[in-house]
Amino acid sequence: MTGERSLGLLLFEMTFLVLLGPLVTGIIQKIKARIQCRQGAGVLQPYRDLAKLFRKGTVQADTASGLFRLIPVLVLAATVAAGALIPVVRAGPPSFPLGDALLLLGLLALARFLTAVGALDAGGAFGGMGASREMTLAPLVEPVLMMVVFSTAVAAGTTELGALAAQRGTSWVLAWHAADFLGFAAMLVLLPAETGRIPVDNPDTHLELTMLHEGMLLEHSGPGLGCMLLASHTRQIVTLGLVSALFFPIGPANGADAAGLLLGVGAFAAKILVLASYLALVESSYAKLRLFRVPQFLGIGFVCALTALALRIL
Amino acid sequence: MNVDSGLNLMAACYGAGALSALLARWSGRLALSVGHLATLAGAVVGLGVSLSVLLGVPGRTLTQPLPALFPFARLSLSVDGLSAYFLLVISLVAVAAAVYGPAYLRTYSPDAGPARQATQVLALNVFVGCMAFLCCAGDAMTFLLFWEGMTLASYVLVVSDDRDGENARAGLLYMVMAHGGTALLLVAFLVLTERAGAFDFAALRAAAGDLDGTTRTTLFFLALVGFGTKAGVVPLHVWLPRAHPAAPSHVSALMSGVMLKVAIYGLLRFAFDILAPVAGPLPSSWGWTVLVVGTTSAVLGVLYALQQHDIKRLLAFHSVENIGIILIGVGLAMILWRREGVGGVLATVALTAALLHTLNHAAFKGLLFLGAGSVISRTHVRNMEELGGLARRMPWTAGLFLLGAVAISALPPLNGFVSEWLTFQALLGGAGRFHGPAGLVIVFSAAMLALTGGLAAACFAKAFGVTFLGRPRTAHAEHATEAPPSMIVGMAWLGALCVALGVAPGYAMRLLDAPTAGLLHGPGASAVVTARGPMVLSAGLTASGTAATAISMTMVTALLIALTAIAWVLRRGSRRGPPRAAPTWACGMSPTSRFDYTATAFAKPLRFVFATLYRPRREVIRETAGTPYVVRRIHYAGEVVDLAETQIYHRVQRGISSLSQSIRARSTGRIHGYIGFVLAALFVALLLFGVDQ
Repeated sequence: MTGERSLGLLLFEMTFLVLLGPLVTGIIQKIKARIQCRQGAGVLQPYRDLAKLFRKGTVQADTASGLFRLIPVLVLAATVAAGALIPVVRAGPPSFPLGDALLLLGLLALARFLTAVGALDAGGAFGGMGASREMTLAPLVEPVLMMVVFSTAVAAGTTELGALAAQRGTSWVLAWHAADFLGFAAMLVLLPAETGRIPVDNPDTHLELTMLHEGMLLEHSGPGLGCMLLASHTRQIVTLGLVSALFFPIGPANGADAAGLLLGVGAFAAKILVLASYLALVESSYAKLRLFRVPQFLGIGFVCALTALALRIL
Repeated sequence: MNVDSGLNLMAACYGAGALSALLARWSGRLALSVGHLATLAGAVVGLGVSLSVLLGVPGRTLTQPLPALFPFARLSLSVDGLSAYFLLVISLVAVAAAVYGPAYLRTYSPDAGPARQATQVLALNVFVGCMAFLCCAGDAMTFLLFWEGMTLASYVLVVSDDRDGENARAGLLYMVMAHGGTALLLVAFLVLTERAGAFDFAALRAAAGDLDGTTRTTLFFLALVGFGTKAGVVPLHVWLPRAHPAAPSHVSALMSGVMLKVAIYGLLRFAFDILAPVAGPLPSSWGWTVLVVGTTSAVLGVLYALQQHDIKRLLAFHSVENIGIILIGVGLAMILWRREGVGGVLATVALTAALLHTLNHAAFKGLLFLGAGSVISRTHVRNMEELGGLARRMPWTAGLFLLGAVAISALPPLNGFVSEWLTFQALLGGAGRFHGPAGLVIVFSAAMLALTGGLAAACFAKAFGVTFLGRPRTAHAEHATEAPPSMIVGMAWLGALCVALGVAPGYAMRLLDAPTAGLLHGPGASAVVTARGPMVLSAGLTASGTAATAISMTMVTALLIALTAIAWVLRRGSRRGPPRAAPTWACGMSPTSRFDYTATAFAKPLRFVFATLYRPRREVIRETAGTPYVVRRIHYAGEVVDLAETQIYHRVQRGISSLSQSIRARSTGRIHGYIGFVLAALFVALLLFGVDQ
């Protein structure tokens, strides 16, 4: 059985997630490019974009309030704080109470709420449209996500992700119940929605017909935009990390020594890579759904999650 | 503080406040100031009384007899943990309302005559005083007297500002609904008092011990409907979104934040304390009904709130939602209480969640209503579509409203999240214990609670964004200025509560010890919910409590603050200097306020998604000039119906109308006919009831 995770390890995991986040986006872009028979930009391109943005000056809408400058900071902080709750290299609860899966979802919801508020601040129709659509889909995604969490938490008796992962042990898919398969299926439906990808959202365009999340970023510029982009990279890897913590909990890393740590990091990176290529594959093989078709798409996830929960309880 | 003298002092304060209405003969402004000062004093004394009981020796009930007003009933006051907790909730919001009130009334209606000011001062003190003493009532008679006083005083406040007929109609509906509810409560209480032969709660408790199951359950459902009407649960909520916005804003804060909670107090007192069987669990129908009603109220409340454009009406619908969330906790506690093998400590977790949400909702809903009041007092506009751009003009109000919005949307690190987290933990634990359909109901309830949280966030992104951000849409909003300091202080008090209860909720558990232990005769809240220090929340989900989930809001907040500081450094970037201002991008056109997203537009996708529940009506009329291609003007009207109103109330209304039509045919207008009816009725009554004696 794995032990407890110290504060140092938590901070290390959080930093690791933030640093790795842009790379995941880069890899997804690269895979997409290859599927489309393009060369594509290098996998490090998101880092270059961020570095460029943080060097630039800021242009701000003249109608925006003082809140507008604070929004990117708060959004980034909330998203990164959510990252601290994901067990990356080791299972087991933290050595001191910090937060559980509900708090993680709460922090992501806080980031989303603030992004929407910031989008309304500039007073353009694009920001409002993005905010409206994002806040329409969020209430549909969050309950399903929570039900997937519940479907594993009911069995384990806790919502703490590290403890959940530790309970599940290392046998992975071999020990899965039917409920796990259904829960994972629900998660596969939710992943594109939560990470803002096709078929729910299109991260590559600001076009008003397709955009949700990108529309809200339209008025941010320079370092502010950099913060928002870093936040969305982090949000993506946090969501992937949540899936891997719930369904493929931390594999071999039991020891606290450097080798164990390295092994844990490697296992995590491998899992994230698999999930990222799933996202890239889906994004390359489907068209974006009409906004009002998305609730039906999410409905599949809802049915899967509800059935998973029912199987756990009955 | 000595509780007896505290209660006397509190009565004196509210009494003096009510009497200060007489000062309006000389100066209305003086009456306003003195009256609200007295309310403030009463609320501060109330705080002292409640804290001394809550933090004092647990399980002690303090009783004080009152003057004998009636020959048949002894009136008394009795303060135990539950009373003190609700007194605390009332007093906390009353402090804010009393600080906020005078400046609000002066700025909102500067032309109000002394008569109206006197009425408002009188009614406010009677209202707050009745609520405070209602929670301290020691017998059914006192309870019902204060209950009626609370209803009447709040009615006076609702209709006190009657610029158009709308408020009077809202008040009438409120009166009818409230008294319908009170009638059921009367029946429920009188059945018990008749059996007990006395009015005090101890005697009622003893009398309830001998009831058979059917009577007990019937009485409970009478009380549930009675209290539910006051609390505004779906489908008894229709008066609420009309009456609450009509009152002055600080009274709306009291009505939404506190008066609804008094109904929750009544329900808890009646179900757990008086009516509960001496041993063994509550009948299972009670808890499940409350759980389902709570879930329905939560979801429908927030869904209807989403489609409101009147900011106070929107907030009123959110009260329906939050009462629903509280009732989920209450229902779960009823289900789990004393149930061997399933309940255990979980009932305490559920009740703790409900009570904590009661306090939390009072704090953030009070804050939001006061924030809305600041906007309204400056702009005299309640329709969000006519506002906008206020964050630059009223920064304090905007900041505090945003704080309340984050809190009510159940987002960390504020207090709304904490109580919803506890509710989720209780639901999850309950689902783990019950197998089969019962577990599914609980899980579904949890999913609906998650949906509610998400929708509330959407609703408040809309409410805050459209009201405070973007460009001002009308001259009213254009020329708004910041509210006076006393109003900001009133809001900041509640805002500080939201932060404190969110960041260090463990301390609130200490306050919840006495009510939970007293009501459930089990371990107190802090024995179950907090572990390892006051900063940590933990809820045991397994029977042994081994795999407890623990979170620390304090740690998370500290982490958030540290990360914000780091992000701020990152945000400043390498280039110094202020940001360059430029117009918002509008595809090359010069943007005007018509480019801003409106509240209707913002909520439109959700109107589509939930069209089954909204039954939206949409009417577009085009005026064309001869050819369809030249449109002179377009008239657009959209509407969302409240299903409860159309499906239940309109039908009842039609039924009553047709019944009165048929009676009308018999009413000839001749006095002889009526005398004949009376005689016939008397004759029948004597035949039926008087013959055997």
